[in-house]
Amino acid sequence: MSSSLHPDDIGNARRRRVLKVTLLVMLAILSVRLYQLQLLYHTELGKKSEENIVRSIVKEPIRGYIVDRNGALVADVGPSFSVTVTPAEFDMRNLPLLASLLGVDQGALADRIAKGRAYSRFAATRVERDIDFQTLSALEENLYRLPGINFAFESKRIYPSKARASHLLGYCREITDAQLAIADDYYHQGDMIGSAGLEAKYEQKLRGDKGYELLSVNARGQIIGPFEEGKNDRDPKEGLDLLLSVDIGLQAFAESLMTNYRGALVALDPSDGGILALVSKPDYDPSIFSGLMEPQDWVTLNADTTHPLFNRATMTRYPPGSTFKMVLAAAALQNGVIDTNFRFTCRGAYTLGNRPYKDMHVHGSVNIIEAIQRSCNVFFYQLMLKVDLEPWYEVGKKFHFGDRTGIDLSEENEGLLPNTAYFDRVFGKGRWTRGYLLSLAIGQGEIGVSPLQMARYAAALGTKGMVVQPYLVRATRNRRDNTLTVTEPVHETLDLRPEVLDIIREGMRRVVNEQGGTGRASKVPNVVVAGKTGTAENPHGEDHAWYIGFAPFDDPKIAIAVMLENEGQGGAKAAPIAGLVMERYLHGEIIRYKYRPAPKPAPKDTASTITQVTAE
Amino acid sequence: MFEYFKEYLDFRVLLITLALVAIGLFSVYSATFDARAGEIFERQLLWSGVGFLALLGAAFVPLRTIQRLSLPLYATTLVVLLVVLVLGRTIAGSRSWFGVGGMGIQPSEFAKVVTVLAVASFLGRTTTTLSSRKDLALTVGLILLPTILILAQPDLGTALVFLAITLPLLYWAGVDIFFLAVVVSPIIVAVGALFGTTLFVVGVAVSLVLLLVTRKNLFAAAVAFGGTIIVGLSVQFVFDRMPAYQQKRILAFINPEADPLGAGYNVLQSKVAIGSGGFFGKGFLKGTQTQLNFIPEQWTDFIFCVPGEEFGFLGASLVLVLFGLLLWRGIHIAAVSKNSFSSIAAIGIVSILSFHVFVNIGMSMGLLPVVGIPLPYLSYGGSALVANMIMAGLLMNFYANRKEH
Repeated sequence: MSSSLHPDDIGNARRRRVLKVTLLVMLAILSVRLYQLQLLYHTELGKKSEENIVRSIVKEPIRGYIVDRNGALVADVGPSFSVTVTPAEFDMRNLPLLASLLGVDQGALADRIAKGRAYSRFAATRVERDIDFQTLSALEENLYRLPGINFAFESKRIYPSKARASHLLGYCREITDAQLAIADDYYHQGDMIGSAGLEAKYEQKLRGDKGYELLSVNARGQIIGPFEEGKNDRDPKEGLDLLLSVDIGLQAFAESLMTNYRGALVALDPSDGGILALVSKPDYDPSIFSGLMEPQDWVTLNADTTHPLFNRATMTRYPPGSTFKMVLAAAALQNGVIDTNFRFTCRGAYTLGNRPYKDMHVHGSVNIIEAIQRSCNVFFYQLMLKVDLEPWYEVGKKFHFGDRTGIDLSEENEGLLPNTAYFDRVFGKGRWTRGYLLSLAIGQGEIGVSPLQMARYAAALGTKGMVVQPYLVRATRNRRDNTLTVTEPVHETLDLRPEVLDIIREGMRRVVNEQGGTGRASKVPNVVVAGKTGTAENPHGEDHAWYIGFAPFDDPKIAIAVMLENEGQGGAKAAPIAGLVMERYLHGEIIRYKYRPAPKPAPKDTASTITQVTAE
Repeated sequence: MFEYFKEYLDFRVLLITLALVAIGLFSVYSATFDARAGEIFERQLLWSGVGFLALLGAAFVPLRTIQRLSLPLYATTLVVLLVVLVLGRTIAGSRSWFGVGGMGIQPSEFAKVVTVLAVASFLGRTTTTLSSRKDLALTVGLILLPTILILAQPDLGTALVFLAITLPLLYWAGVDIFFLAVVVSPIIVAVGALFGTTLFVVGVAVSLVLLLVTRKNLFAAAVAFGGTIIVGLSVQFVFDRMPAYQQKRILAFINPEADPLGAGYNVLQSKVAIGSGGFFGKGFLKGTQTQLNFIPEQWTDFIFCVPGEEFGFLGASLVLVLFGLLLWRGIHIAAVSKNSFSSIAAIGIVSILSFHVFVNIGMSMGLLPVVGIPLPYLSYGGSALVANMIMAGLLMNFYANRKEH
């Protein structure tokens, strides 16, 4: 091995071969990789390269309008400007300036931008919505030194009517992280989404469809023009309008009557279940949810111990009190347990075992009609013992107590209608007494109903047997081609003999129209009203005041349920409100005062108006 | 007449080189075809002219002169490399530039070829013998001196080139190959260890094969393999116990261009560019990745994306084929040279170019870590282009004088 280097030693054939093979192997590795990238992965990498150069700018659709049964706008849409930040273009050193121009907290703003960046560095993310004019001008003046800031033209709800209708309309809120996690691809951070009431139930129809504009961008995210001359762009599609069965004038009137109460009022059209008014008090102003909502407003609403966000018309389980007596009456008459000749004598109390069950008055000898008219508890106590729980339960089920009504709102509670199985389950077999049945006879105890269920019950009695499914939206309207999609009303026929209903209806007519009736305060001029009052004991203080009714008696156009929490007697507090609402609906106005003689000689033109009305 | 030219002028090397330079000019033009268009392309065009003159010079200077000038040139280069460390301009973190007017000169680009010539000249002397430890140490020293100076800039990519050419140079010159394997294995494994477990394992496998293939007896091979693994493991062991900031410094040193914009951005965009080119490519000046500047400084180290994206598999394969033919031709010239100096120098040149091609294209396609070395003839950069064209000229010169002893 100690030979000196010689040309013949250098690069002998074997070494030449080794080097050439090495070269070929290297080239082969590169070629295989080239083949893999350009031919095998071409589709995937080609798509990536396309995504690289295209940005889509979302164009928000205009949300559908909400219109009442007479075509009056209930929920309108107005313009709103939002501020967006494109993280890739925004210089975080400008954060304090932007925060002070918007008047928001720096930390919260940084947080929103960070969330947007996590979604996409290149997509504009909304950092503030519905800015006012001053903020808009201040931002525009500073736009030259705030790269990455833009405005998005959006819409917000405007409520032009006098009614709040908070619980039926509901509201939209900015989508939460939790909602975002389960929502479809449609939504992004900062989007508004219907979160309660009709806005939530009809979110898919109201929202419309986002449009987008595709723009070509370079590697720095700078826009260099429309992508493929904009041929892939899509205009936003406005949402569908909701045409309500609600009479917004009546709604506003009912709200005004309920202003100082906690409780609910539901009025519906007995012929098809269309809701005419749905009030829950206390309520809230839905416009605080539109546009920019102050976080403090949300906190205040949630912290309010009167629960203004809670829909008392549909989500409550109140004991119905005496308004429930017609169920027992129907069970007794339908099963032939009694007829109108059957009488009990009321001495003001009934004793079962050692325990006295009280009545309000001493009613003396009463039949079923008089017992309804005067709301005699003792009569119904004894009747319950003759009828028993299961037949009572079966009739209650025919009115669908204990079931959801199926109204087009997500916020609904099915309430409670107990049967033997229920008592056995809750108290244990043989461990509950017939005393529970006596409570149920007068709508107390283990029973829970919502005002909505009670309005439907009143409607079914009024129409002699149509159990309707209440609804708020009678049709959706597509403004693009002006087509209507009508919702067919749904109802069941009550499986009770006509004479049974006739007897009960007569009792309810007398409640309002005869001496000794408990609901005389619900009378409406020129119309025969039928109804029933209730005064429900409850563990939360004063009795709840109930009234249910319908009018006109022979061909009901309106059925109503009114519930006032802790207001005492139904006949005194709830009945007058129901009467005014029925009057307003049936006559189009309140006419009762026009029959009163004017206290002083009236001016000429007013007097002539009165004459005209009286003449009608 | 033509026969005469054919005998003394290597048309293949000339034409392939010019073709690659032309593809490079098209690519640089496309990669800079925006607001900065013109400036970079025009400079590259100018450098191509300078490079062509340098190529002719290298091709036609008498071989003896080159051989005689090798060591003085080498000494000068070392001095220049020292001076640049003190007086040079710092660009992209490395103090490796001289400003000459508006243009920069990067001495390390020329140092590669000068070192190859010096080593070839030293080994070509009849008195040199590689079985002498002193001569072997001198040879390795000749390579290590400029390597250290370049590492100090710091420019790891270029320094790696020097280490990479050592192996084929010594191998070609006839060094005991088992000795070569014993020296090289720990280096492979240690470098692999710093790039992560996968490359550590690959390094171990390569070393094992090397040692087994070149072994004289199994015992020596086993001992050497054991030593190799200990070196590799201790590198990992030491590295793992360093504070995080030191680890980062080392990684940044090994891999200075990694992740300037986050998770493998350059490599990802480069792969997207090449892959989206497909078979036929998107067309000249129509590559969206290239035209919209998705790959930062694409005209330098990531130039391969341009033919990849705009001319597709056809264009990119053509580049590979041209490099393959040039390097194949280089080995052939080395093999037919009767002169030790030119034979070894030719292999040195082939080694430099091969390493650049393999590492650069491998990096562009996400096969190898991002090491900042340019693609010969295609990447923008005057010094590299001129130095590479000088190498082509030298190959032509060696071919013309292949029969001279």
